[in-house]
Amino acid sequence: MRAWAVPAWSLLLAVLLLGPALAPGFVLAHDMVWVPDLALRADALGTGSGLPRAVPSDAVVAVLDEVVPGMLLQKLVLLASLVVGGIGAARLAPPGSLVGALAAVTLWQWNPLVAERLGLGHWPVLLGYAALPWLVGAARRWRTEGRMPMVLPLLVVVASLSASAGLATAAVLLVLATRRDPAQVARVAAVAVLANAPWLVAGLLHAGAALSDPAGAAVFALADEGSLPGPLAALGLGGAWNSQVLPGSRTGPAAWVSTGLVVLVVAAGWRGWWRRLGAREAGGLLVLWLLGWGTAVLTWAAPDAVGAVAAAVPGAGVVRDGARVLVLCAPLLVGAAAQGVTDVRARVAGSWPGPVPPPARVVLAGVLVVWPVTLMPDVAWGLGGTPGGGLRAVSYPASYEQAREAVAAAGPGDVLVLPLSSFRAPAWNGGRTVLDPVGRYLGRDHVASDELVVSGAVVAGEDPRARQARTALAGADPESRAAALAELGIGVVVRDRTAPGGDDAGAVEVAGRRLLAADDLVVTEVAGARERPAPRGWVVAMAVAWGGWLLLLTAPLLRAGRRLRAARHR
Amino acid sequence: MSAIVATVTTTVVGGVVAAVTVVGLVNANTGTQGPSPANVNQPVVEYGTNG
Repeated sequence: MRAWAVPAWSLLLAVLLLGPALAPGFVLAHDMVWVPDLALRADALGTGSGLPRAVPSDAVVAVLDEVVPGMLLQKLVLLASLVVGGIGAARLAPPGSLVGALAAVTLWQWNPLVAERLGLGHWPVLLGYAALPWLVGAARRWRTEGRMPMVLPLLVVVASLSASAGLATAAVLLVLATRRDPAQVARVAAVAVLANAPWLVAGLLHAGAALSDPAGAAVFALADEGSLPGPLAALGLGGAWNSQVLPGSRTGPAAWVSTGLVVLVVAAGWRGWWRRLGAREAGGLLVLWLLGWGTAVLTWAAPDAVGAVAAAVPGAGVVRDGARVLVLCAPLLVGAAAQGVTDVRARVAGSWPGPVPPPARVVLAGVLVVWPVTLMPDVAWGLGGTPGGGLRAVSYPASYEQAREAVAAAGPGDVLVLPLSSFRAPAWNGGRTVLDPVGRYLGRDHVASDELVVSGAVVAGEDPRARQARTALAGADPESRAAALAELGIGVVVRDRTAPGGDDAGAVEVAGRRLLAADDLVVTEVAGARERPAPRGWVVAMAVAWGGWLLLLTAPLLRAGRRLRAARHR
Repeated sequence: MSAIVATVTTTVVGGVVAAVTVVGLVNANTGTQGPSPANVNQPVVEYGTNG
């Protein structure tokens, strides 16, 4: 029964959670921007001018959407990140306990972390989260059997599609797959480095721009949820910074009840869980939990210190989104909770006067499995109960395709997206906030603002070219602006008339040939721009990084091929 | 007698949990959406809000 009940329950929860997001169209929510055909361009490969925030995820999507249409690929990724993770979570439950397995699935898929990361559009984090329970098992096998499981490289690569996800994955590997054997430690470290090589090397190449505005630490720190203080919210995997994605149920008494129940059920299962896993693995998961919860609470308790470190150490800003690190807490939390559910059910059955009648057995099991949904029902159907409007599938206006064609016909040079602000809330997206999708849609390298505004506070961007473009736009007249932009290698300017500050009256004019003037998008070709190839050293460095990444990805195939050849020769 | 009490108690608790879950899920599906947080008349669309 477990063979089909777990996948069926996981799929049901995923469909219930995503709901309208699975309809035809693209889901555009905060950082989640998918387009019909993402181009494999310098930014995606890590040789663009901005910090490599979407390396290697953009490159992977750009390649895969040549095979699977972008819209379908997005649905598959969203659905898989829930279902694959849910099925994997069932393996953290005590063997033989169907109720424990189903409770693990519910708690893994239906929690504030999943809901809030979905709302924020952090799909690479969710993919890494989905791979986590499988990675726990694969790391255990590698440590105990001394042979790397065939599936492990794929898991590690899939779980490392962004910097923060990659760091969490590396931590899981280093804690769970190593033993007192320097060679094994070196092998594990090598796998972690290869899986993260694209963003690591790209980050090093951009080290000069990798210092973060210290203001971002306070803005993106672990946050209180209603009256629930951040450190307590984090016990139940909550505490994302953005109140737009905070479900209403997390701001009231239900959040307290939910957190209390999580703590109780984990406490109930703690001893049995520790005994079942053994000190090595349970201890490892405890270390990961402490790392995740501790880092998250640090951003809450000492945002100024975190900000100071992010401003001084290149790349340290990756931990400023405190609640994102809580993925490391999930394997312990869900494993111990599943054990707790199993033990509580056994205790109730043991103290029942006589044999438990089947209806009571079903009701008890149902309550133990469903309670996370009961206490946070408003995330159902595409996060319907969040103030930000949740997840809905929409279609791009026809003008986006026209703009793409116009840009393709324009002369050389990159695209500058105006107005110089990062986020949009287009009417065709239901007014929901999304990172400006124009640049990605157009299929050329683009320069856009990477400044972030949260509750009126401005967090400075890091892309030096965006700052230079802002200076160029301050020129005295359209001709001088166009000349300055051309100097920067900008060959096309695309302006969104519907964005605040982008209307004709308020726009900064740039001289050039008008290629498109749709109701929403205006495309202007800037004369005199030249291609700005990436430095040769950057290209070589990134080629090495991608080569290592591909080597890791194909390692199981190569090994299988060697085995096959050896078997034939025998 | 105590077996009957236990069964009735379990059924009541289960019924309440089921009712609250179903009502919550239905409300999430049919409840009116809050006003869009993004105001296009403001100078910049914010990434999000704290608190």
